[in-house]
Parts: sequence; structure tokens; C-alpha cells
Amino acid sequence: MASRTDPPLEIVGITKAYPVGFLARQRRLALDSLSLSLAAGELLGYLGPNGSGKTTTLKILTGLIFPDSGSVTVLGEPLASRGWRYRVGYLPERPYLYDYLTPNEYLDYAGRLFGMGAETRRARAKELLRQVGLEDSADVVMRRFSKGMVQRVGLAQALLNDPELVLLDEPMSGLDPLGRRLVRNIILDLKARGRTVLFSTHILSDAETLCDRVAVLRSGKLLAVGRLDQILDVGVSALEVLVSVPGATFPQLPAGVRVHPAMSERVRLDVPEGALAPVVAAVEGAGGKILSVLPTRQSLEDYFVQEMGPPAEGAWAPRD
Amino acid sequence: MGSTGLSRVHAVAANTFRETIREKVLYNLVFFAVLMTLSGLLLKPLSIRQDEKIIKDIGLASIELFGTLIALFMGVSLVSKEIERHSLHPLLAKPVSRGEFLLGKFAGLAFTLFVNVAVMTLGLYATLWATRRGAGLEMLQAVLAIYLGLLLVVAVALLFSTVTSSALALVLSVCAVVVGHFADVIRNMREVAPAVPTWATQVLYFALPNLRNFDLKTRVVYGDPVRASDLGWIALYAAAYVGVVLGLAFAAFRSKDLQ
Repeated sequence: MASRTDPPLEIVGITKAYPVGFLARQRRLALDSLSLSLAAGELLGYLGPNGSGKTTTLKILTGLIFPDSGSVTVLGEPLASRGWRYRVGYLPERPYLYDYLTPNEYLDYAGRLFGMGAETRRARAKELLRQVGLEDSADVVMRRFSKGMVQRVGLAQALLNDPELVLLDEPMSGLDPLGRRLVRNIILDLKARGRTVLFSTHILSDAETLCDRVAVLRSGKLLAVGRLDQILDVGVSALEVLVSVPGATFPQLPAGVRVHPAMSERVRLDVPEGALAPVVAAVEGAGGKILSVLPTRQSLEDYFVQEMGPPAEGAWAPRD
Repeated sequence: MGSTGLSRVHAVAANTFRETIREKVLYNLVFFAVLMTLSGLLLKPLSIRQDEKIIKDIGLASIELFGTLIALFMGVSLVSKEIERHSLHPLLAKPVSRGEFLLGKFAGLAFTLFVNVAVMTLGLYATLWATRRGAGLEMLQAVLAIYLGLLLVVAVALLFSTVTSSALALVLSVCAVVVGHFADVIRNMREVAPAVPTWATQVLYFALPNLRNFDLKTRVVYGDPVRASDLGWIALYAAAYVGVVLGLAFAAFRSKDLQ
């Protein structure tokens, strides 16, 4: 029997290898002794480049694939039991929802699998489709939908049962900026309502914006897990100064300052900590203006580059 | 909030039926209607007894042919298409087990075939009535046998659908159906190929669906009576075969990684 004090998700040492090659005689390790735990009400970003094992983890958590070893407890129940499925929502990566159905019909079907009554199904579908901005397309067959619209219906079906634990695999995938903002708001709303959310992404800015903690995965191994300020060096290491200097009279700058031409008369300067005052004096002495001063901190992108080396083409999206 | 196994199977079955409707599978009924109308018109000049038999022959054969095509083409895509498109991923994360999902898929297609066979049977009776040729209820015995045979085809297609791709499942299912219609040849294979071990022919004979059992068309058309016990044995064989094949499909599907 699950207790309300159980962690919503407890992964202990799961390993998964896929058969590859001719006659599947070789095996490729997708997850290597992964252990991870989520606290109630937590929003955890699950990060890693493509092929690092994020989707494999989520598929194991939803019973779509089976780990070779290790154990998983969801909402206090073992993975093999059915009870937790009533309390979990799952959005797969690039969901394919039956395109011959309308969103209303799909949600009605999903609701019947949860054993919801007809009235509840109708009310939840209406509420969720409004939430994801599809109330006007509720009765249009999904064959006519864009990828982003299907993604929104996918999100709606994941929230149909008002889940305690929400597992989202690349929820921002295929969405336009408005769609991404909408999904961000939904995730923040889930957190505000005390729900536990695990979402995988390779878009680092999403994790930076939303997450309490992040877990970073590389080649099936957990590289780091913790709050962003624990993983990243959040101290100010340098300043980014945008200046405007008329003509070709650019001043002599203190040592260590790097100059990057920007637009027209504007120049961006990377200034070491403590060297701001002489830079300001030099710029103003040359008749220029300081336009902005921004502190530079290590970002998740910097962390990824540092830990994993420069990305291969399309391997991960630092910012978009 | 809670659902029963039966309600979940019903939900999957209802959606499978809806899929076949939306995918316009029942359009075959239009072809059947045209075929029956043409048969009625073209065979009018023939003698009364002959044209009645020919219309019944064409009608029953068409019911079997269209039914088999639907059972094969829809059956092989029942699960493999869902696996290939990942459409079952959000569903299997919900409180529906893989066994319930398979059973629902089978039941949904079985219902589609029931509707299809029922409408075609009504069409056949209507054609006979329109050409002023009577037809007794004994024709329903042949139709029932055809329907039970179609359930075997669906079960076989579903089994292949769970273990391989749609294309390969179709090839294997067509082979099983074709060979199944010549089951007697397999049983008597030793007479033409003595080198084949008896156990091999026995295994093949019992493993493949014996679709000859379900062919009552000739008997019904030529007025050879079909006893209730004959139908009972056919139904029993169908239930046992479908049960075993669905059990195998479940065994293959329950531990399958859905990548």
C-alpha cells in the first residue's frame, strides 16, 4: 500500500541495454546503473544530448520498456502494479495521437481508460483544451493539425486525470514561441498546485527557467544532479559591457578586455571582474557611451560544453 | 476514479471499430452491392434453380472474400501500426494492460467484421428476394461459419502483428490463410512426399488454421443439410484456436520493449 509520504518517484540502479547489429548479437548500453529520486512537488529537468538515455528512462518509468536490472517505485508502488497509472500523466516525445479522431474524441477515449464518467470526461476535455488553447479546434480531426497542435493535445491527455506525477518527454518540441510559453505556464501551474513534474529536454534555457533541480545524463550515466546553483558556477566571473564609440577613436583599454564588434558604432566588451571602472573612464574619455553592463555567469550551455565537449551537429540545442 | 477490465477492453474495441469506420473500410459494402445488383440482372435469363445457386454462390464467396481481405489488412495493422507509429505509448501509460489492449483490438475488428458480414448477408437476401428467388434461413449457417473463420484470420493476423512489422505480418498471414484453405493437403502430405516426417505434417496441420472446416457454402447452396452438431464443433474449434492464438500474441506482447 502506497503511503502519501513516499517519494513520487524512486529509481534505483536501473540498467538497460538494447540489442544491436546483425541478429542482435551485440548490445548497446542505453542506461547504466541510473539512480534518481524526486521529492513531492518538485520540478526536475532531465537533461542530456540526443541519445543520452532520457527517453529510455521515461519509457521505463511508464512500463513501455523493461529494465534489465534495478527497480522503480512510482508513487510508492512497484512498476508492475496498475494503481499508480491512475495518478500519473505521461506525454511521449513527438506523440502520435490517432489522427482520425478529434481532440474531444481522443480525450474521451483516454478518459474511459481511466474509468471516468461521461460528464467528467466532457468537462475535463473542455477545460484542458481551453488550457492548451485548442478550444476552437476541439471537434476538428487531428489529421488536419500541425505538429504543435498535436503536441498540445498530447499535453492535454497527459493531464486528463489530474495526475500527481507528470512525466513529460520533450514537451516543448515542435512548439512555436507562444506554444512554448503556454507549456511553460502549464508546467509552472502544475508546480504551484503541488504536482511533481519530471520533464526531459535538450533545450537548456527551458530547464534554466523552470526547474528546481536538474539531472544531467550522458551516455546513459547520470553526470550530475542538483540545484542549478550547485551544478553551475553562479558567481559573476566577468561583465559584458555594450558601448557606443563614435568614429575611429576607440580608446586604449585595460589588459584582459576583449573587444567584439557589434552593430554600427556599437562594440561589445568582455571585461574581467574589477576592470569596469577603467573601461568606463576610457570609453567616456573617448566621447563614447556605456549602453549596458551585464554580469556573466556560467550557463547550462557552458556546463554542457565543458563536460561534454563541443556539440556535434544537431546533438543538442543550447538555446533557441 | 477506477475502471474495470471489461470497460477498458470495451473502450479499446469501440475505438478500433471507429477507426475502421473512419478509415472507410466499410466502403467494400458498396462493391458488394454493385456485385449483387449485377449478378441479379445478368443471371435473370438463366433457369430459376441455376441462377438462385449462382447468386448464392457469388454472394457467399464475396462475403468470405471481402471479410478475409478486411481481416487480413486491418488485422496485421492492429498492433504493428500502433507500435511503428508509437500511438499506443500514451495509452499504455494509462491503466490499460497490454492484454486488455490486445483483446480490445481483437474485439473491435471482430465487431467490424460482424457488421460487414451482417450487411452483406442482408444484401444477399435482398438480391434473392428482388429476383424472386427465395432463400431459407439455412444460408445463415454458411454465413456463421464464414464469420467464425474470419475470427481465426483476425487472430492469426494479430499474432503476427505483435511480433513483426505490418508488411511481414501481412505476408505471413496471407500464407497462413492460403495454406489454411488447403489443410487437407497438409494432412495427406505423406502420400505425395513420403520423406516428410509424420510429426512435421501433424504439427503444421494443427498449428495452421484449418479454414476448410468453415466452408459450408457448397453444402448450403446444394441443399445438403448442416447439423447443429457440425456447427457446434466448428464453433468449438474456432473458440479454442482463437484462444490459443490470442494467448500466444499476449505472451509475445507482454514483455515486448516498445521503443
